[in-house]
Amino acid sequence: MTENDRAILKVSELSSRAIPWSRTLDVLIIVVAAFLVWSVSHISFLLLGGDWDFFIDWKDRQYWILIIPITTIIMAASFQAIFWNLFRLPVGATASLLLLLLGTWIVRYHSWQGLAYFPLSLVVPGTCLMGALVLDAILVLSRSWLVTGMFGAVLYGLLFYPANWIYMAGYFQPVQNMGDMTSVADLIGYTFPRAGTPEYIRIIERGTLRTFGDTPTWVSAFFSAFVCIFLYYMFWGLGVLACNARFFPVGERFKSIYGNKGKAAGKAVGAAVAQPGAAS
Amino acid sequence: MSLHRMSLRRFGLSILLAAMTAATTLVPLPAAAHGERATEPYIRTRTVHWYDVTWSSEKIGVNDKVTVEGKFHLFTDWPDAASKPELAFLSNASPGAVMTRVESYINDMPAQQSVRQLEIGRDYPFKMVMAGRVPGRWHLHPVLNVHGAGPIVGPGHWVEVAGSAADYKLPVTTMTGEVIDDLQHYGVARVQWWQAGYALLAVAWIVWWIRRPLIVPRWNAIRKGREDLLITRTDDRVAAGLLVLVLVVVIGGYRYTTQKYEYVVPLQAGSFKTKPLPQVPSLVAVEMKDATYDVPGRSLRLDVEITNQSESPMRLGEFTTANLRFLDKSLDVAVAGVDPSFPKDLVAGSSLKLSDSSPIAPGEKRTLRIEATDAAWEIERLVSFLTNVDSRVGGMLFFFDAKGQRHMAEVFGPIVPVFTQLQLAQSH
Repeated sequence: MTENDRAILKVSELSSRAIPWSRTLDVLIIVVAAFLVWSVSHISFLLLGGDWDFFIDWKDRQYWILIIPITTIIMAASFQAIFWNLFRLPVGATASLLLLLLGTWIVRYHSWQGLAYFPLSLVVPGTCLMGALVLDAILVLSRSWLVTGMFGAVLYGLLFYPANWIYMAGYFQPVQNMGDMTSVADLIGYTFPRAGTPEYIRIIERGTLRTFGDTPTWVSAFFSAFVCIFLYYMFWGLGVLACNARFFPVGERFKSIYGNKGKAAGKAVGAAVAQPGAAS
Repeated sequence: MSLHRMSLRRFGLSILLAAMTAATTLVPLPAAAHGERATEPYIRTRTVHWYDVTWSSEKIGVNDKVTVEGKFHLFTDWPDAASKPELAFLSNASPGAVMTRVESYINDMPAQQSVRQLEIGRDYPFKMVMAGRVPGRWHLHPVLNVHGAGPIVGPGHWVEVAGSAADYKLPVTTMTGEVIDDLQHYGVARVQWWQAGYALLAVAWIVWWIRRPLIVPRWNAIRKGREDLLITRTDDRVAAGLLVLVLVVVIGGYRYTTQKYEYVVPLQAGSFKTKPLPQVPSLVAVEMKDATYDVPGRSLRLDVEITNQSESPMRLGEFTTANLRFLDKSLDVAVAGVDPSFPKDLVAGSSLKLSDSSPIAPGEKRTLRIEATDAAWEIERLVSFLTNVDSRVGGMLFFFDAKGQRHMAEVFGPIVPVFTQLQLAQSH
């Protein structure tokens, strides 16, 4: 235990008997919080990002680059706000993206490979983990959600493409198939059939906007970074709102449904619930 | 019953439920069926009619090939509820990627991408070459996915893949000369190693913070206005170091990768257009006068007016709809038209019943009652007339001239279901 740790314990005024129990509580809360962060991040991504990151032949240089950062930063920002406001722990974004990546790989092995026989080369996921680390690091350095949104969210959006291109570039080498030039990713998607996912469902590069490199990649990356700023602020706000939730006022009818009849009993329960908040 | 016994029962039930949940969620159990009978009958009977479909083999080894080929006819009476085939994709239905697609063609045009502007009322030949990947007995169908109408599944045949899945390999050489040993594993290790590296950084960052007094002490410190204790100068240095490390890794890795893969192409996502088969002048005109489906008798009855416009006598040999084939078994040429590889369960056991099976003379106009009776109407779930927005039926009639040449004609119109024998007696 460092000098700083001892100072924190001293300030917190925990009794010597309570300190070991406090550590036990830490472990329990970490486990519960991990499952909560994991499930919320995963469900949120499935609902909003879903198909865009399932298959290698959906990872286009326009929409994939745009959609994945903006659909993952929302939970990263929310959890960052919660952990920061309640405990000054700058790990919310990293935990959200790390657990999402873990959950994604479990699903890839269990469901995509195990149930549908898809090879892993068809379903390798991308990740915004490097952007999440930057987001948390900038929060520590700036101590400010405003600055984090301005610089961290921009880097979050911008880093997604290069951080994933490092290991995905090989899938975009040209190959020849049935007389046409195509990418390795397209060939993988064609070779391993998805009965319910016809080719035309993909939305690949709509529009003619290009950078000087004749690619929409960086246009998408910068637009993604721009959108990430606003989403970061919005969902930071949602996280702050979640931190302020103390208790919800309960009506008489609701109480009676749950067998808690009478105003006196209601007040007693309300008082009991409100007590920890009042103490704070 | 005592409280103790009830608790025990509840406990046992909970264990059973937990075990069932674990068994159904944790252990992957692949599905064998793929919903070929789930599509609404109005789509299956009035959109894409598959015919002359053959399978080159019903038993192959891993890596061996099976060819599915034939033709499909796009029905004139295409239902309004389903989008027209402006954009379509030729695929196959099988339970997952148990077979791989080697080649596919519509009218000899490579069908790697979607085809646009298919013409209603016309016929298209198709061909798919598949290779065995996962051992097992798999139902292999051709499928035409139509944008806005969904997958329209052709006849399915059981194909057995023998051998070991570990033997499957698909080597590919890229246009830049890189040899890929096996497409199904390509790049996976590289992705996993890099992402594991990213995850290691993330775990180190999280551990850096949670190793110290955490929830209650930090919460109390904030409430008491001592948040200055919670983030130290060392934390700042670690955060700055992490920031620099992430940027160096990403920018350096990106630069290295762009130099390594000098030639890359974006995903290819165009569509192609192909011509249908040449239109053959119709030598048989068919007009439906009346159609009923006898629900208890499982029999479709069509009253049709047929005009032979050819110079040869014609006989009706087959009625086909939704991949079901009803043959006039007294006509050898019609029976011979069923390829040995065609699935037996899609050929009705009973013969097509005709009110007059004698040849229709050239120029003759004849009203004929056609009865197609088989339990397959129920098995294939083709009788949900009450749930359709338009109670219509459609199918193809195959006529044969004196030389045994086949002539096709569409038949379609409204259909009335007959629910009781009494109603049947009253209507006829």
